[in-house]
Amino acid sequence: MKPLETPSPEALARVRALSERRLTPEEFRAALAVPLGEAEEGESRSLIRWFRRRYPTPADRLAWARRAYRRWAAARPGPSSRQTTPS
Amino acid sequence: MAPAPRVEAVTVGASLPPPLLRTFADRGCMPRQPKLPSTPTGYNVPVEGSLFEEAEFFRAIADSGARALLIGRRALIALGIPVLTADYDFWLHIDDIAAFNRAVEPMGLCPTHTPEEARARGRYVAENDERVDVLVARSVPTADGVRVAFEDVWPRRRGLAVAPGVVLPVPATPDLILTKRFGGRPKDLEDIRLLEALGREDGP
Repeated sequence: MKPLETPSPEALARVRALSERRLTPEEFRAALAVPLGEAEEGESRSLIRWFRRRYPTPADRLAWARRAYRRWAAARPGPSSRQTTPS
Repeated sequence: MAPAPRVEAVTVGASLPPPLLRTFADRGCMPRQPKLPSTPTGYNVPVEGSLFEEAEFFRAIADSGARALLIGRRALIALGIPVLTADYDFWLHIDDIAAFNRAVEPMGLCPTHTPEEARARGRYVAENDERVDVLVARSVPTADGVRVAFEDVWPRRRGLAVAPGVVLPVPATPDLILTKRFGGRPKDLEDIRLLEALGREDGP
């Protein structure tokens, strides 16, 4: 099996810029006006149910978040920086 | 089994590079790190890390009396949405900045601005190797022009038990959606859609 290739720093920066860019009020309003589709809602609710079942309390979920972030930070290429974090 | 040794906090001074040391000294706050007992026992082998203990962090804020709402992705996670985040986001009552800072200072979290500066700017950060973004505006407009007031959101908050005796205030789901509309970024839209699904899952 071909090993997974890590995206280049430039590619990561482009994706980040797209995700972080500020939409115009018109773009944002238009996006909000799109209703949640049945399939999307079903998938999201299924994910939420799984997560709540697996981590039943807020404390469990917050502990999961810290573990998940540590794993993400350890796996990502380049120096660790909170400037390039997922939120 | 022997109990784990108590870990105390010590101020880090000499180990910081001078420019960083001056920055923290100017703010009247020094980052701290654990002081470990001299003999490693297996529990206290030195590892890289901070003094940060999340439950104690939330407890300190709750005990301070500061009106602080957890917002952002950490709030989504606490409610039951599995997303990834690195930092903490709070919306704090504009009169409670000093109380909040006093509460988190023992964890080595240093504010980037004085309370007066923070009030003027509308936000600041408390940081060490954790990052806490603090919004302190009385009201904030969403990207699509709706003004959201802390005084309206605070009474509708819900409390999440995150440790024995520690209740973490988060906005009601519709209000959390409004706070997600502050940013106006594509990733905020993704979070809004997940929150809408959560709202339907939980019902009215």
